[in-house]
Amino acid sequence: MNPRKRVKKLRRLSELEDLINKEKEKREKETRPIISISSGTCGRARGSEKLTEAFKKAIRQENLQDKIILKSTGCHGFCEAEPNVIIYPEGIFYQKLAPKNAQEIIQRTILKGEIIDSFLYVDPTNGQKAIREGEISFYRKQRRIVLGANPLIDPLDIYDYFSIGGYSSLLKTLSSLSPEEVIETIKKSGLRGRGGAGFPTGKKWEFARAQKSELKYIICNADEGDPGAYMDRSLLEGNPHRVIEGMIIGAYAIGASEGYIYVRDEYPLAVANVSIALEQARKLGLLGENILGTGFNFDLHIAKGAGAFVCGEETALIASIEGRVGEPRQRPPYPAVKGLWGKPTVINNVETWGNVPIILEKGADWFASIGTNGSKGTKIFSLVGKINNTGLVEVPMGITLREIIFDIGGGIPQSRKFKAVQTGGPSGGCLPEKLIDLPIDYESLTQAGSIMGSGGMIVMDDRTCMVDVARYFLNFLRDESCGKCLSCREGTQRLWEIVTEITKGKGTMDHLALLEELAMAVKDASLCGLGQTAPNPVLSTLRYFRDEYEAHIKYKKCPALVCKDIISSPCHYICPIDQEASTYIALIAQGRFEEAYNVILKDNPLPSVCSRVCHHPCESVCRAGEGGEPIAIRALKRFVIDWAREHNIQPNIPSTEKSRERVAIIGAGPAGLTAGYYLSLRGFQVTIFDSLPQPGGWLIKGIPKHRLPRELLQRDIDNIIKTGIEIRTNATLGRDFSLADLFNQGFKAIFLATGAHRSIKLGIPGEEAEGVIQATELLKKINFGEKVELRGKIAIIGGGNAAIDAARVAIRNENCQKVIILYRRTINEMPAFKEEIESALEEGVEIQFLTAPKRIIVKEGKVIGLECLRMKLGEPDSSGRRRPIPIEGSEFIVDVNMVIPAIGERPDISYLQNVDRIQVTKEETIVVDRESFMTNLPGVFAGGDVVTGPATVVEAMAAGKKAAKTIEEYVSTGKIKMEYKLKRPSIWVEQVKLSEDELEKARRPKLTKISMKLRKSSFKEVEQGLSENQAILEAKRCLRCDLETEEAKMAMRREK
Amino acid sequence: MEANLSLVPAIIDKYKAQKKALIAILQEIQETYNYLPEEALRLVSKKLGIPLIDVVSVATFYRAFSLKPKGRHQITVCLGTACHVRGGPKVLEEFERKLGIKAGETTPDKKFTLETVNCLGCCAIGPVVVADGNYHAHMTIRKVSRILKPLSKRE
Repeated sequence: MNPRKRVKKLRRLSELEDLINKEKEKREKETRPIISISSGTCGRARGSEKLTEAFKKAIRQENLQDKIILKSTGCHGFCEAEPNVIIYPEGIFYQKLAPKNAQEIIQRTILKGEIIDSFLYVDPTNGQKAIREGEISFYRKQRRIVLGANPLIDPLDIYDYFSIGGYSSLLKTLSSLSPEEVIETIKKSGLRGRGGAGFPTGKKWEFARAQKSELKYIICNADEGDPGAYMDRSLLEGNPHRVIEGMIIGAYAIGASEGYIYVRDEYPLAVANVSIALEQARKLGLLGENILGTGFNFDLHIAKGAGAFVCGEETALIASIEGRVGEPRQRPPYPAVKGLWGKPTVINNVETWGNVPIILEKGADWFASIGTNGSKGTKIFSLVGKINNTGLVEVPMGITLREIIFDIGGGIPQSRKFKAVQTGGPSGGCLPEKLIDLPIDYESLTQAGSIMGSGGMIVMDDRTCMVDVARYFLNFLRDESCGKCLSCREGTQRLWEIVTEITKGKGTMDHLALLEELAMAVKDASLCGLGQTAPNPVLSTLRYFRDEYEAHIKYKKCPALVCKDIISSPCHYICPIDQEASTYIALIAQGRFEEAYNVILKDNPLPSVCSRVCHHPCESVCRAGEGGEPIAIRALKRFVIDWAREHNIQPNIPSTEKSRERVAIIGAGPAGLTAGYYLSLRGFQVTIFDSLPQPGGWLIKGIPKHRLPRELLQRDIDNIIKTGIEIRTNATLGRDFSLADLFNQGFKAIFLATGAHRSIKLGIPGEEAEGVIQATELLKKINFGEKVELRGKIAIIGGGNAAIDAARVAIRNENCQKVIILYRRTINEMPAFKEEIESALEEGVEIQFLTAPKRIIVKEGKVIGLECLRMKLGEPDSSGRRRPIPIEGSEFIVDVNMVIPAIGERPDISYLQNVDRIQVTKEETIVVDRESFMTNLPGVFAGGDVVTGPATVVEAMAAGKKAAKTIEEYVSTGKIKMEYKLKRPSIWVEQVKLSEDELEKARRPKLTKISMKLRKSSFKEVEQGLSENQAILEAKRCLRCDLETEEAKMAMRREK
Repeated sequence: MEANLSLVPAIIDKYKAQKKALIAILQEIQETYNYLPEEALRLVSKKLGIPLIDVVSVATFYRAFSLKPKGRHQITVCLGTACHVRGGPKVLEEFERKLGIKAGETTPDKKFTLETVNCLGCCAIGPVVVADGNYHAHMTIRKVSRILKPLSKRE
């Protein structure tokens, strides 16, 4: 904001000294508040320029032009918080500001000294707010010796740089050090190249110094080509003079008279700021002939790159400055001997040059005191990807990955799981979670199969596919290979082709060995760093994430849901029973409801059940949900099911001759019914045994009618039985018959699908009292129409679906005054379905979070109260949820008449007591082979909750469906051979598109619910279905990911 | 359509027709014309005394140069690693779908050119898209039409 003074060339060292002192003094005496606006490229992209204008206006309005200093500075490093300002002298940090906030900041913070709460940074890990820069976890562990000056200075003002002591290292060098002494200092400091390879800087300078040549050059490599790294840009934009000062010192040390700053074309702001800085330095006589009267001549130019990654390699970079194609050449001779135009040349990276003035100012010993044995000083990393606090972090060498990612970076967004960190750009590698405590320096990273590189650090979570990451880097490298060496040109291409095949689910296990062999050949036979390190991303992912490659190859799975030719549509891909959601949605969009019905039926023998109670994993992975609302898939399914029922459309069940072997299924729940249905369709003689009086298992016993109307359940079950299944109810394994009996009766295979129906006890005093009833028991009685006496105030303990079901059943009872759920964690950790929790709250159920029961208070054998403890959340446990910890002395009493424990269920496998040969876990689940579902006993299979512990309906059905296949194989061939296929739609349906405007307006429909009066007084189904119009509109909102695969595109072209 | 090449000699003169300034000269021609017209390359070759084949090999080696005219509006989708893991490819696909062209192509009406870049160094705010020099942070599929709409109305 200051009018620029007339520049006078400095002719003597003493003039520079005077100028620096004068500017330093001015800064020290400055009492006005300074507002520093982070305005690097990221800041500008987030609106920092508009913010600056708004500040100017607000300052003018208050007539404070002479009372406030407004500085548009380089990047403050905390890119996530852009646009941000720091207000000095206090160092108040305000983040994510909009232009409209400027006035408030001037009025409240500057004029009244108030802190504005809503602009403060909130720590994502603990919710605490930080006022000052230094209090923010992102900054606390950093040591910003190179980047630290960014917020203090206007990069376009050389005088501002003087005021923080800038150019005093140059002054010191020129006035008191010989070139040899400068080199000695740099050598002693242990500074190593920050561009990647980590060659000792002092040594490089010494080589160049020793060369006898009239002309020598120095070059600053600012071709920061590694995707994911941008510290050089930040330094050039925010503090260009520090780099220039370092370069002048370097030129003096080696005896160079000319230098170049080679900047990427993609960094327009850096080019602009450096150009201005060079002009200023030249005008003041810090560059040019006879610098400061010392007889030392040196000038600097900018050379703009033209977009070629390989030009980051020093010999290619030199070729590019010379105006040629940027191809590397053989080394030696090294540039220090034969570089630019054949003359000795020192090339260092931006960050390296930026360290030079600091080392000369503070001394080699000071610098060497930071870092590890072999790696001195700090390193700037760009912490990006799946991380909460993205930004540039400058840390002492030797800090661990954990400190960087979790303490500074604040961990992974949405509490997802950390998977890997990619360091070193395309030449680097991916480090897995088990190396999280690795101290970061040049050697440790190389040993772990990666490299320091320029300092990119890309954090990846469980939604990042490591095969895809390898493919990404190979694509980059095959594109950027200059083509000179065959091994690199063809090798990266072929590596990319193989990995691409794998990401399409077309890989073979032989590919993995081929990849390794080819990678070594590319490494060995390539001339420059690009080719020699090109295989690193493949090799490191193969080393640490081989299981992911195998998942793609063997199981046709991409666990991170990334590789689109494997995934096709995520809804279909994720569905445990392979429902083609995208296909039936497409048919709904076209009004072809009956076809949609048949598509649903094809993969789902319990369609009505799923249309009501499925936990719809499809919706949680729906791509429309990324930054928007997922498609209401379950509601669409329900629409089709209800439509078919209204139109009296019967499922088309083929009648098959039951000519094949007998199979016994124990348990008529979702797993047993599904297995039975598919086996029966395949011609097996199926008998399902169940100890309950009716088939349905947990569906009929545990799920209340207000969620699942019984006529719907019955319709599904009837259709299953119609395929020719014999059902034997009131028949209990272990009591009425044994496994041996079944084999003796001629059954060739047995499928155990007995669920998990036994309640876990609370384990607190008073549990035997009258008025304590297990949730499962309560639900069973009510669902079977038995009388249960509910009375007064009822406490339900637990946070799962059974707890919510029990609560909603209880609140429908006229004798019940109040229902209160006690849960020991918070709503975020509650395992019950979100919409169920909402409905319960609507109906008047209360939930007390962070509360755990300690003792049931009993009087005369009856419950009269419940003593509880308050909890707080601690560190995450093995389930990833934060562990509840009791708060000592927080006991309090809840006045209740009944207690309903609902803290979980376990399988009841007492029937196996006499069959001790079946292997079980200590959680009393049955052990099976993960793929074949067979237990250790030949011919005995198991699936559903009895294997997994309590899970969902659709997961149990999936077990039944898969087991039906393996049982078929086992019975007919005696062997089980697993085959995995890519999931693809059975028919290709054209997309009906919404117009842009319609798409903007379209919203996920909310299901209507019946009146509260009806809800509270009956077990009528609460949610109502979609109308035909609603359903069609919602179906059209689908993005149709299934049409994005190569096959789909070909199929659609054929149809056209 | 023949480009008016009257500005090329001045650019060459500015760099004193020095051989070492080849890249800088081409960059300025590219900036001025949005591409490198064939005639301009011939002129550069003649004035600098560099064989045309060498001029062309430089012009085709570097990503910043284009031998084909570009559209009036330039959309650049960053596919740097950070943008990649945060969904950059999906944003690119959406642009491809909406514009009906592939990355690297120009719409037949010469309105839009769609390109990718390997990294813009704005990794913290990715996925990033630059539309006519304006940076758009945290891009999603939904924001694509918001960027295209105002540009297609403008000439």
